[in-house]
Amino acid sequence: MMLRWLSPALALLSLVAIFLACLLGSTALPLERVLAAFFGGGDAGDRLVVWSIRLPRALAAFLVGAALGLSGAALQGLLRNPLAEPGVLGVSASASLMATISIYYGLVAISPWVLPLAAIFGAVIATALLATAAVRTQSVVTLILIGVGLSSFAGALMSLLMNLAPNPFSLTEMINWMLGSVANRSFDEILLSLPFLLVGSLILVGTRRGLSALTLGEEAANGVGLNLRNQRIFTVLGAGLATGASVALAGAIGFVGIVAPHVVRPCVNHDPARSLIPSALLAGLLLVLADIGVRIIPTDNELKLGVVAAIIGAPVFVWIAMQRRSVHD
Amino acid sequence: MSRLIVLILALVLAACGQGPEPAASPSDRPMRIVSLDFCADQYVLQLVDREQILALSPDAEREFSFMREAAIGLPTVRPVAEDVIILKPDLVIRSYGGGPNAASFFERAGIPVIQVGWASSILGEEANSIPHITRDVADKLGQTARGEAVVHNYLARIKAVEAAATERSALYMTPSGVTSGGNSLIHQAMIAVGLENYTDRPGWHSIPLERLAYERPDVVAAAFFEAPAKRQHGWSAARHPVASRELREADLVRLDSAWLACGGWFVIEAVEALANGAVRE
Repeated sequence: MMLRWLSPALALLSLVAIFLACLLGSTALPLERVLAAFFGGGDAGDRLVVWSIRLPRALAAFLVGAALGLSGAALQGLLRNPLAEPGVLGVSASASLMATISIYYGLVAISPWVLPLAAIFGAVIATALLATAAVRTQSVVTLILIGVGLSSFAGALMSLLMNLAPNPFSLTEMINWMLGSVANRSFDEILLSLPFLLVGSLILVGTRRGLSALTLGEEAANGVGLNLRNQRIFTVLGAGLATGASVALAGAIGFVGIVAPHVVRPCVNHDPARSLIPSALLAGLLLVLADIGVRIIPTDNELKLGVVAAIIGAPVFVWIAMQRRSVHD
Repeated sequence: MSRLIVLILALVLAACGQGPEPAASPSDRPMRIVSLDFCADQYVLQLVDREQILALSPDAEREFSFMREAAIGLPTVRPVAEDVIILKPDLVIRSYGGGPNAASFFERAGIPVIQVGWASSILGEEANSIPHITRDVADKLGQTARGEAVVHNYLARIKAVEAAATERSALYMTPSGVTSGGNSLIHQAMIAVGLENYTDRPGWHSIPLERLAYERPDVVAAAFFEAPAKRQHGWSAARHPVASRELREADLVRLDSAWLACGGWFVIEAVEALANGAVRE
């Protein structure tokens, strides 16, 4: 029963959260003015605030969260490991490294499409490396360690870029991509990421039956007719596209891809296939809520969404890892 | 040959006798100077003779270095102790170059260090004002008269623009979407020319997009935009529709990064540019 209503309920809550995000901001706007602006009426300033500032920002947070939740759930299914997640495995860090490189060397000036493509390139390379390692090693711990290594390596290269920064002023922008934020995002940027995000998500949803089969173990999955090679290629490609597009939009935001599937899994009887959509919706919802928090917490400088996500998500990650102490590998 | 030497000696002595800075005696005047960062480079390039400059920082010729043309052809050195000491400088000058321990390190090695203060006000006589820092560094370089001349010129130019004061508001903006409020040099530059700073909160912040939707500045002071290929791109924060509307529609004052990247007398260039923007209708 819960299963049937889970996705519609999460979708509805997400819509409510996005609407709530349009209500709250640095300028106090009463409900009727927001509603008027929503339907194209009201003051020109109100329309600008709702349509150009708050709505694109909330949508960006939702899309980024959804992409990460979906990628997390799919990677967890593929690697049969609840700790797999784009952030933990270094996929986000690699994507954010490539995005930064494209800015650093002025490649983005060629075309705005360069940045999402660079981020996706980074994400796909990292995911492919992980999937290759997963074939060779059966150990979940080894795989996570490889991810940690990848993450550290991408972090080190990022530090190298900052170290060699041509001038102190280019650091600000690089730090933004490292910390993760949807502040100042507009529909222009959403449209530049959306095609990749949608294609990646469709590919991941397309792999869902294979992910269910994989819960039986690779041999059994093979036995029921699953083409393991294709399953890996498509999951890697889908997660790479979705994570890369999300990093292009918001930089590296960690842990949301681990928290959402973890919450969803018991509600869907631990079936990876059925966890994909609810995980995406829940992760999107969580990021919209976190971004509302970031905007209304009265700090002197606005907190970065990625920082807040990590502060909440990292302890959850540790907690999930500690629950697994009985599992022997 | 001996006549030539006598002639050269005579010229050198004459030059010493008629130098522009009678206060500094030639014997204690540091002859070979190494600068450790681009902020210090500006003072060295402006105040001392070219022959006295042993090496500048690697950023001396970059687009954000105001005296970059004067730096062309001069050697540069990384602010690394070993690389600097091997040049055997008589004096090291720095603002931030070489890190926090640089000053004590070079002094232990017997090389005096001039510390260029961090400028936080464009006028006044307190220790962190541009006139004071300029005079202080010039004194320590044995170039009191040149320092005085720079300050005199700077103050005269500021006085000249004060007359053109109006009551319009100005928003400072960089490609990464940063603006600046109370007490920064750019804030003081706006006040000096009679502009009101649109950003009222002190410190550095993101551009207040929501406020811009209702309340628009008359002038946008756009800094660090001069190299579009590298600085601003399709993903810059300043490309947000609300921010870029101001860049298109407000009176735009372009501020060269070299005027603002470091605090010094060259901030006057930004003050004058703002003064022109302030009266444009």
